[in-house]
Amino acid sequence: MLDVRDLSGGYEPVQIFQHVDLQVSAAESIGIFGPNGHGKTTLLRTLSGLIDPWQGDIFFDGERMNREGRRGSRKWRNFNYDAVTRRRMDPKKVARAGLIHVQQGNLLFPELTVTETLSIAVSAASGRRGWSVAEVQQLFPRVAERRDHKIRFLSGGERQMVSIAAGLIAAPRMLILDEPTLGLSPKIRQELCGAILEIRKTGLPIILIDQDVAFLEQIIDTLYLFDHGRISGRMSRDEMPDHETLMVMLFGERH
Amino acid sequence: MRYDPPLQKTQGLWPLLLAVVALVAYPFVFEATYFRHVMILAFVFAIVATSWDFSLGFGGLFNFAHVALFAVGIYTYAILAKTLGVSPWLAILAGGFTSAFVALLISIPVLRLDGIYVILVTIAFSQLLYLIVISASSVTGGTSGMVTLPTLTINGYRLSGDGRIGYYFVGLGLLAANILFLYLVTRSRLGRATVALKDNKYYAIARGISEARTRALTLMASAVFTGLAGAFYAAYLRVASPDAFGMGFLTLLLSILLMGGAGTIWGPVIAAFGISVISEWLSGFGAWQNIVISVAIILVVVLYPGGLWAAIQEIREAVDNVRTGTLARLRRNRGRAEREALTGATERMIRTRFAEIAVADTGEAEKPALLFCHGNSACKEAFYKQFRSMSDTHRVIAFDLPGHGVSGNGDPETTYNVAAYAEIAEAVLADCGVDKVAVFGWSLGGYVALELAARGNVEVTALAIAGTPPLAVVPEDFGNGYNPDSHLVLAGKQYFSRQEARDYGNSATAPISADSAFMHRNLPRTDGRARVYMMTKISIIDWPRQMRMLAEGRIPFAILNGSDDPFLNHGYIARLNYGSIWRGAPQDIMGGRHAPFFNKPDAFDLAFYAFLRDAESGSDATFRPSRMAATA
Amino acid sequence: MDPITLISIIKGGLILGALYALMATGLSLVWTTLGIFNFAHGAFIALGAYVAWQFSSADALGWPMLPAVLLTCAVMFLVGVILHFLLVKPFERRSDVVLIAVITTLAGSTILENGLLLIWGPRSKQIEPLTRGEVDLAGLHLTTAEILLLVLVLAILLGIGMFLRYSRPGRSMRAVSQNREAAQLLGLDVPKLYAIAFGLSALTAGLAGIFLGTIRFMHPAMGSEPLMKALVVVIFGGVARFSSPIYAAFIIGLLEAFSTYIFGVYWAPAVLFVTMIVVLLVKPEGLFGKYQRTL
Repeated sequence: MLDVRDLSGGYEPVQIFQHVDLQVSAAESIGIFGPNGHGKTTLLRTLSGLIDPWQGDIFFDGERMNREGRRGSRKWRNFNYDAVTRRRMDPKKVARAGLIHVQQGNLLFPELTVTETLSIAVSAASGRRGWSVAEVQQLFPRVAERRDHKIRFLSGGERQMVSIAAGLIAAPRMLILDEPTLGLSPKIRQELCGAILEIRKTGLPIILIDQDVAFLEQIIDTLYLFDHGRISGRMSRDEMPDHETLMVMLFGERH
Repeated sequence: MRYDPPLQKTQGLWPLLLAVVALVAYPFVFEATYFRHVMILAFVFAIVATSWDFSLGFGGLFNFAHVALFAVGIYTYAILAKTLGVSPWLAILAGGFTSAFVALLISIPVLRLDGIYVILVTIAFSQLLYLIVISASSVTGGTSGMVTLPTLTINGYRLSGDGRIGYYFVGLGLLAANILFLYLVTRSRLGRATVALKDNKYYAIARGISEARTRALTLMASAVFTGLAGAFYAAYLRVASPDAFGMGFLTLLLSILLMGGAGTIWGPVIAAFGISVISEWLSGFGAWQNIVISVAIILVVVLYPGGLWAAIQEIREAVDNVRTGTLARLRRNRGRAEREALTGATERMIRTRFAEIAVADTGEAEKPALLFCHGNSACKEAFYKQFRSMSDTHRVIAFDLPGHGVSGNGDPETTYNVAAYAEIAEAVLADCGVDKVAVFGWSLGGYVALELAARGNVEVTALAIAGTPPLAVVPEDFGNGYNPDSHLVLAGKQYFSRQEARDYGNSATAPISADSAFMHRNLPRTDGRARVYMMTKISIIDWPRQMRMLAEGRIPFAILNGSDDPFLNHGYIARLNYGSIWRGAPQDIMGGRHAPFFNKPDAFDLAFYAFLRDAESGSDATFRPSRMAATA
Repeated sequence: MDPITLISIIKGGLILGALYALMATGLSLVWTTLGIFNFAHGAFIALGAYVAWQFSSADALGWPMLPAVLLTCAVMFLVGVILHFLLVKPFERRSDVVLIAVITTLAGSTILENGLLLIWGPRSKQIEPLTRGEVDLAGLHLTTAEILLLVLVLAILLGIGMFLRYSRPGRSMRAVSQNREAAQLLGLDVPKLYAIAFGLSALTAGLAGIFLGTIRFMHPAMGSEPLMKALVVVIFGGVARFSSPIYAAFIIGLLEAFSTYIFGVYWAPAVLFVTMIVVLLVKPEGLFGKYQRTL
């Protein structure tokens, strides 16, 4: 369903990741595991079109998400190529194709209420069938409770739930979750993990980034190791070792 | 790591002297008053624009009241010299003082604000000053301004006499003083604090820089010469008009600043001359003058935000690329016999994906192959002593990295990084028909050797490095593995002055002597981009793969550093985890420097031979885990 | 001060306030949504006035007022969209977009003003008032044009407020202004919403220009002084809420009317700027709000 071929990218002029190949079938959920600061988030931002890829292709459900060809040559270092070249990705197109990315530590719209935020997601879905507001409120009772509060006044965990809820309403056919449980209290964390498991059970494929191997094991079918801007390993759920072994695989003894 | 040589040691010295001579000669060549007039205006604009650049470009403080500071200088002169009858020269000095004082006032509302609010408040402040000037018409003449201000005289000689030559030189002197002032200020504590606050505000504050004090001082420093220039401008034109507050003047100065290049001193100075001339020329076209200037501003800001200075740098880079490329091509044929005599090997060119590569090869395929990888800004002949001493027993191969020696230059984006160098090394070996090789890498070449072995496409039978701290975590270990106080900072500098080339050559290879002179001659040929991109591309290398390889210890491995290597932190190298290393620890070549094989060839050869022998026999006694690995 | 003077000062203050509110709303619409400050807003005001004059004046096309105003609105919306593409869009992904936008919009403003000068010449013009009637209300002398201005401005502001709060594009605009990336990731069409915001802002500037053109003489730089006032309003009130600059506009309008009476025409603006700077020293986020850009 998602087919990433030889993808390289980064923030001009610094290249962050390179030669990433990633195939995710329609029924599959995958996890990406790797140290912080090695380009996972940059890769996801490229997949969802927030930044342009330098090279390679992204297909979603057979449809090409990027414009064809490589990033044009940037010979004159100080020339603002953005002013004269068209963007190679359109985040709107990716989202409307159904690849929905829930960002890490998403602050959402601080001055809007929960209800308003969800209604934005409804209008963003513009007719395509996503979850209904009632369904996400059932999944996240906390969100239902706080529906008249501004996002600004929500806790980190509640905000994360609203983010996922909005993502579900926006008619996802595949959901990218970037460290959804980062920095949450154990109780909220458990609640959120449970909800993500529920989402998984509906058959919606998920790309999950998390540092918690036990949690990853519950959700995903395949794990990709990602470090130094490249995929360095791939293993099925059954082959997955514990956290310590994974870190050794990535860094050797000294890490 | 800061490298800030004094001006007389940089390459900027000669262009500067040339410019000074040209400017001093100018009024004697162009005697028409008009030509001098345009230049005097250019001096004033250059002063105001560069001063503005100190707060805006260097400090990131968008003070849009800067033009008002100029007007403050104008009115200070007008009121003191005309209304109060103070000596005009004193009135000019006073212009600098009042302007700095007003800058202090401006800094008060700006202290707690950021970004666009600074722009809005300073614009409001400038409007306020404007309103005060036109409201207090009894003092300032209101909207009609003040005319027939006193002119400047020296001992009764009017500076406007003799085609304004007096004003020309006072203006030139003021500009020179202004540039000197900014040059010193940007290098002072204040200048560093100013830049630090722009680059990383919270870090700077955490390091004890007072934001309020620095901002106030930055604004005041940018105001002093602006005020002086304003007063001089008033003394020259003999009028003070509220137009100085207007958008037209703001736009003109902004265009000088931006087209010259914000964040540089020289860019706006150069732009001031160009734009003054163009603006004077366009002034006959009425409304079109402003339209043309504005369109130009938009085009520059949108398409080429670095401005003139960035363009000069880019052209310089292109010229340097042609220079180094041509030099390499010329030397390919000319010095070839000499190079072959030096190494005793034959030289040939091979084509690779990245660039044309020069390879020295002693041939004799029956002997075991030995590949040497040279370091940053060096060449394959650095190993000529090993070519001579080892070719009896080995097939010795070395190649010039792209952008080095007589190899061609490459596309900097793809070519100038360790991964590409390793791929080139593979191509060289393939071209020689070698599939088993012992590798020695020196400095940057050490990383190439490590990467070549870690890639595993070629069977490396023995691996030795010198002057290369293996890196586990980049860029942190870069700071740990090297000694930053040495000339190492030059390793990433694009252009070398003669002095810098000598400094770097002395530290990295050997002080100039009859023996090493060829390396010093070769150094200026190096494509400066190779140095820069090597540093910027450091993060795309798979460093942990190299460390894993060293930790596994399957390849016989040795470190043969010079004991007096000025670049290295020996402690860091000794602490790393080696699964198997020759004699259980990094070995020092006593008295060796960064290139021990060059300045202590006998000791080096002895050790290297011993290592190669042990690698061949594979004796476990000599290959042991390092202490770190043993305890792990 | 007798009551009649007091009331007429208040009346003057309210009319000024209404004009400032319209301009400041247009400014803050772009500021909050795109995060940039549009210095060409003053030139938009002048352009709106000239375009409306071209359509309505007996010396030019001489159309009736209503179609002239509506067409001016359409033209201004289009001008806003086009200038957004020329002056802001090419570099909106750069990190220094705020400074660059200041410079390009300043330059754009210079181009527009000089263009007006080239097209319509330096001679002063005036737009016919919308109505010609007078009302005496308890000793207070009001023209119907003044009443109409107050009513229309309030209606327009209410309309924009409702649009932002209840309509789908309006709500999406608020979302984009608060978190551009999150809005993009949900699939909102951010470039379109930016263009709409810029167009809408230019439209309100055009309307302000029409009102201004009926009560003052028009010249190409007529927008720069109101722009400065709108700037004071926006800084003074902050942009935390849609309504903040509107309250601030009326306070500033009244303050200006009173200080003109007390200190005279020349010193009154200086009083405003000093007030604004004092407010900033005490409360840098503006009188009504938090220090952040939202709608």
